[in-house]
Amino acid sequence: MYQNILDSITPVFRDVFDDPSLILTNELSANDVENWDSLNHITLIVELEALTGLTLSTDELVNLKNVGDFAQLLADKGYRG
Amino acid sequence: MKLDGYPSVSLFGDLLRRQFPYFAGVMQKQEDSFGDHWLELFETELKSFFEYDKQRLDQAVRGYGKFALDSMKLQVKFQKTKEYENKTYEEAASEVYQNKEYMFDLYLPGILLSHYLWRHHFLQHIFFMEKFLPLVKNGDGKVFYDIGVGTGFYSKEMLTRTNMKGKGFDLSPHSLAHTLKLLSAHNVSDRYEPNLRDIIKEPVTPSADYLLNIEVLEHLEDPQTFLNSLAKMLKPGGYGLISAAINAPNADHIYLYRNPDEVAAQLTKAGFELVDSTVDAAYAPRLEGDLVPVNVAFIVARKEDE
Repeated sequence: MYQNILDSITPVFRDVFDDPSLILTNELSANDVENWDSLNHITLIVELEALTGLTLSTDELVNLKNVGDFAQLLADKGYRG
Repeated sequence: MKLDGYPSVSLFGDLLRRQFPYFAGVMQKQEDSFGDHWLELFETELKSFFEYDKQRLDQAVRGYGKFALDSMKLQVKFQKTKEYENKTYEEAASEVYQNKEYMFDLYLPGILLSHYLWRHHFLQHIFFMEKFLPLVKNGDGKVFYDIGVGTGFYSKEMLTRTNMKGKGFDLSPHSLAHTLKLLSAHNVSDRYEPNLRDIIKEPVTPSADYLLNIEVLEHLEDPQTFLNSLAKMLKPGGYGLISAAINAPNADHIYLYRNPDEVAAQLTKAGFELVDSTVDAAYAPRLEGDLVPVNVAFIVARKEDE
């Protein structure tokens, strides 16, 4: 599901979390990644906005709990990866 | 975390982890830094105000999450621009203080919980308890004014820890309503009078024995004029606790303080004598030169009239 998007955003996740071997799955969340804290979460959002050219509102951000939520939101906003 | 005996904090942690897993680490950091003292205070607040009501607590968690995400995203932008978004007080009031939905869904629960979850807010609370309250003692027969009550947190602290009576002043009816709700939950609302009032346009007399003015200045276009009025509300011999946010963008932060000295200079110019202070950062900068939100709080006295 949204494999193109996952492939496209993987480098951003690897860079933000400083983990070159990180594999994105829809279920991956802050519970699974050691340094996925609030500051890195915001950095992730800002970097994804830069990558996609999209702006993510606070109402949209509150629903992002895992990688699948990110991919779904980006797809809903027209990003195809 | 050691949460045996802290059922409300435990429930809160579960809800926070479920909705915002990336915020869950904040709880551990606070416990590591402040230990049982933090757990006890947070448990008391949650138990008194939310009464194990999972739905209300869940809504508050959501409000906190939105509030924190909003602030943090603005902080990233601020890192680049070094300026707050240009906004008038009227615009901020319309967007925030007079917006009932925004106030109750996001802003007020967000700020209330931030007193326990944000390092610099909890340190300000400690400063209040360790440095300001000893000056107040039990406050028998005395009166305090809280100007810009916000959630009512510090009015509640004064009323629950002393025998004083208090008066709260705010321009937001929603802040005053939230304050009364918080005070009722702690059974101290009978010693409090809320006032929907602009203290610059309608000066308050007589002056009070003690003043609270917590993180209000950065919400104003002209804090100096406000402080000039505030100074007249404190009796000679009394004390005030005045704090401000520095380098801390928010939806309703208008006046940018870049360092504590700017706040100190305005307080002195208004006629306050600076008695004590604390300067606390929200977190350590990750990179050299990063601007992080800082809180400065001053205990002030009124200079004798010349």
